[in-house]
Amino acid sequence: MITGTLLFQSLILGVLLGGLYALLAAGLTLYFGIMRVVMLAHAAFIILAAYIAWRFSTATGLDPMISLVFTIPLFFGIGFAIQRWLISRLKPATMTMMSVLITFAIALIIEGLLGQVFTGTQRRINLPYGASSVDFFGAAIPVVQIISFVLAGLSLIALYLVLKKTRFGRALRATIQHREAAQLVGIDTNRTAGLGFGLGLATAAVGGTALSLQATIFPSLHWHWIGPLMAIIVVGGLGSVPGAAIAALLLGIIRVMLELWWTPTWAQTIFYLALFLTLMVRPQGFFGGRLAQRF
Amino acid sequence: MSTKRLTRGIGVGAVAMLALAACGGNGDDGAGGGNGDGGSEDPIDIGISLPLTGDFAEPGKGVERGYETWAHVVNENGGLLGRQVELNILDDASDAARVVSDYESLIARDEVDLVFGPFSTRLVVPASRVANEYGMLFVEPAAAAAEVFENGFENIFYAAPAIAPDHYNHLVDHILAMPEDERPQTMAVAAMDDPFAQGTAYGLRDKLAEAGVQVVVDEVYPPNQTDFNAIAAQIADADPDLVVGGTQYQDAVNLILALQQLNYQPRMAAFSTAPTNPEFPEAVGGAVEGILSPTGYSNEADWPSNAEFVEAHTELHGEPPQEDEANAYTTGQVVAAAVEEVGCAEQGECQQQLIDYLRDATVDTVVGPLAWDEAGRPNGAHMLLQYIDGEIEIVLPEDTSTAELVYPKPEW
Amino acid sequence: MRSASDERTRPAPALSAAAGGVGGTSRLRPVIAIAVVVAVLALWPSVAPNAYMLSAGVVVLNYAVLATGWNIMGGFTGYISLGHVAFFGLGSYGTGLLVIHTGMNWLLATLVSALAVAVITVPIGFAALRVRGSSFVIVTIALVLVLQLIFQSWSVVTGGSGGLVVPRPFPDMLRPEHHETFFYIFLALLAVTLLVWTVIDRSRFGASLKGVREDEDKAESLGAPTGKLKLIAFVISAFFVAVAGGFYALWFADLDPLFQFRIILSSWIVLMALLGGVRYLFGPLLGAIVVGSALEYFVLEHGDTQFHLVATGLLLGLVVLFLPDGVLTGVAQLFRRFRPEATSIREVSAEDLRRQQEEQEAPQQPTTSKEASDDRG
Repeated sequence: MITGTLLFQSLILGVLLGGLYALLAAGLTLYFGIMRVVMLAHAAFIILAAYIAWRFSTATGLDPMISLVFTIPLFFGIGFAIQRWLISRLKPATMTMMSVLITFAIALIIEGLLGQVFTGTQRRINLPYGASSVDFFGAAIPVVQIISFVLAGLSLIALYLVLKKTRFGRALRATIQHREAAQLVGIDTNRTAGLGFGLGLATAAVGGTALSLQATIFPSLHWHWIGPLMAIIVVGGLGSVPGAAIAALLLGIIRVMLELWWTPTWAQTIFYLALFLTLMVRPQGFFGGRLAQRF
Repeated sequence: MSTKRLTRGIGVGAVAMLALAACGGNGDDGAGGGNGDGGSEDPIDIGISLPLTGDFAEPGKGVERGYETWAHVVNENGGLLGRQVELNILDDASDAARVVSDYESLIARDEVDLVFGPFSTRLVVPASRVANEYGMLFVEPAAAAAEVFENGFENIFYAAPAIAPDHYNHLVDHILAMPEDERPQTMAVAAMDDPFAQGTAYGLRDKLAEAGVQVVVDEVYPPNQTDFNAIAAQIADADPDLVVGGTQYQDAVNLILALQQLNYQPRMAAFSTAPTNPEFPEAVGGAVEGILSPTGYSNEADWPSNAEFVEAHTELHGEPPQEDEANAYTTGQVVAAAVEEVGCAEQGECQQQLIDYLRDATVDTVVGPLAWDEAGRPNGAHMLLQYIDGEIEIVLPEDTSTAELVYPKPEW
Repeated sequence: MRSASDERTRPAPALSAAAGGVGGTSRLRPVIAIAVVVAVLALWPSVAPNAYMLSAGVVVLNYAVLATGWNIMGGFTGYISLGHVAFFGLGSYGTGLLVIHTGMNWLLATLVSALAVAVITVPIGFAALRVRGSSFVIVTIALVLVLQLIFQSWSVVTGGSGGLVVPRPFPDMLRPEHHETFFYIFLALLAVTLLVWTVIDRSRFGASLKGVREDEDKAESLGAPTGKLKLIAFVISAFFVAVAGGFYALWFADLDPLFQFRIILSSWIVLMALLGGVRYLFGPLLGAIVVGSALEYFVLEHGDTQFHLVATGLLLGLVVLFLPDGVLTGVAQLFRRFRPEATSIREVSAEDLRRQQEEQEAPQQPTTSKEASDDRG
């Protein structure tokens, strides 16, 4: 029996979740824009970041968000390294396919190592505020979700500022828009691509930490996320960060609200339905604007 | 495709095949080519496949410890039929195809004398098929879901007091014994899509529904679900008297946390499996007061073999045994009883004799006396534990209880 | 000025063994090859020392069919599908459900189920091929993930987590005999799959597909209906994988959505095909034997399977980076390096070339050939 409160609460929860999705999808679409790479390992890195946050928290007793101090630069470096030493070695003719295999391999390796080191047991951080909630016009909103949302929001704003206001951001956008033209204008596209990758993976670090606050993590969790994230970036338009953000918010809200009527599993299928519809009806995505193209 | 490459290909293939045949035929250690002839010096090989890695690794390792304790105790007391027992344990990584190959290789390649069952219904069903088709006795410690017993196999015996749907029988009796106006009138059920978890929850649900309790929420979630806000919101909104979780571990923790976040206070709360885990109280932030859970085993129960078991296990592993470990030990006891009575331990005819013996027998174990029906279902019932003042107490059935059931449940 | 690529070098036959040879007998050659290989493999049940090794053989054959079937799409078009396990699972469940609910004959059920899968693959393939490579990858992976979800939830139909028990087609057989029968069944399927692969390989259809692999834009501009071609290859590939799924369901009997739709199986399929070599008929088979037996052996002896994921990932990465054309090509290239002709960039040795020139230009004026040979200098 669905009451108004329940509906309102789901809406709020949907928005919060959508915000998190937006951050996670932003990185994924960034890789694609830069190098036409479908980075399957993105979700695995998100989970890795979550594990680091959990381990940090259990080992030091400090709040897991503090781990961001070293995970962000670490992941940035790893992203740069992956682009420079792995992706760039692939022949451009088979770039998409081979990069999928390489990133898939990386995802497997990460999952295997996590399972090896931490075993398959599900983990959750015991936070002092883990069980508390805030009352918002009758809806009970868990504190951890609000914090995740704030973290995601801040990172997205930061990403936006970097992309729009800095030289690097402009170089990156140019590289995404048209690589050859960017080169003609004098941009070192290789280096920019590397830094862009690093940026994408840095968002994974933040996203993973935000996730660790509210979710239970286990090594194969990334498979649970990569599907929806891929669907989001397609719906939003491959390569477009704002497109991905809008699609994420929309689909996040729909998914949570669907749980009122359907079981959570069926609600999850909305992503795949949206993916299929988008490809059939408008393959270049709905929200990408001029940036998203048919690659 | 040139002939040169083709011949090369065939050559490689043929060599590979021969190499494999050689590899695979080697079998294992020198534990004897199998059929246990050779007098009392020859150890009894017991083949087991357990999920030591992967999703079921935690309880899988628990079962392994239980088996090890059993082997240790038996060998200390002179072995079975005068022969030492040796456990041959393979890791199936929580994978059904693996568990089948494991038992296949144990039975057909290593020619073990006896087999013990693995952990988890998902793995027991295919494994029992292998055992069945080789005619082996299959006593298993961990699959209690109804479908395990519905395949028409005659060689399965479950080494615990009751199958999943009967786990809450004592609680049902207790509730129905209450005066009508005091009983819980409404209930919510949230179950993991897992045969065992669902089995326990639905057993309780169906029996109570029959007695007139209204089911206001009835949700199922997939095994890896971690986000329980939506389900918790539904439950909190409906505000039932009784909440039942068909859970394993982390899902119970997450659900309880979510319910706390929404400030829902049930009058009675029952969750399967999770509350028996030692980390549970901390994981839910200390909010364990009044939570009920079915359990098949208790360290303090005064069955004849229990004290020896607890002592040996604590000595060997440093901690007193949990339910999974106890079920493993029970498996060993059941098989041992059959072997001692029938007088043989090897593949072939012997296995059928063991099966026939157990069909009509009652075996004394650390979880009490066990007897089975024609499909291998045990005819006992689980106990109910409850957290009272932060400690686990057995509250049902009354004759073995250590404290009285607290109702209504105190706030989280 | 004449270029080096014109008729002077044409007459010399290419020494590279990659060419299948020309002429009528060669058309039969791969069929004979398949027959020989199948005959050799058929010896396994007699060679296998125990029932366990026999069952391992069935598993390896299953992998071989999956890899070869996958290769019909991946090898010819260059489109790497990481989601082929979806068809495997669908075929399994389809066959199982048909047998349970209609009592159909097992072979018929498998074929019907595989056809149904092929039909479903059409819209899926259409969506997948919309945005060239990227959407293909995304859709194929998403397919596996969503099917796992659906099959787990739709318990009314699929038995959900409780699993689906598929009745044995030969209920009276003992287990070892059962393994042997299915070994032959899978072997027959493998033979058919190999045959289909080779037929496509030598057909115009196959040539067009390879054109897509080499340079899709060019193929399109030449007028090839690349979209349709890719879709057909995809559907055929899915069909064979679904048949394998059906046979597997009948053999294994206990279906569980978590294990029928595993991504790691998809990655093994790709690894096997890549390792063996996607351009060769027996490449995937070789890859299946190597990887399949390695898997059985490692897990049996060492048990620790989280390492599996790492090993699979590492191997996949290594193969992609260093051996993208497979082991067979790599080995062939290694052999070729040690032949004398290989050090030259020409297909013909200098000796032969001079001889050809003299033969061709003997009737002409000496100056021309001198000029020409000066050009070559």
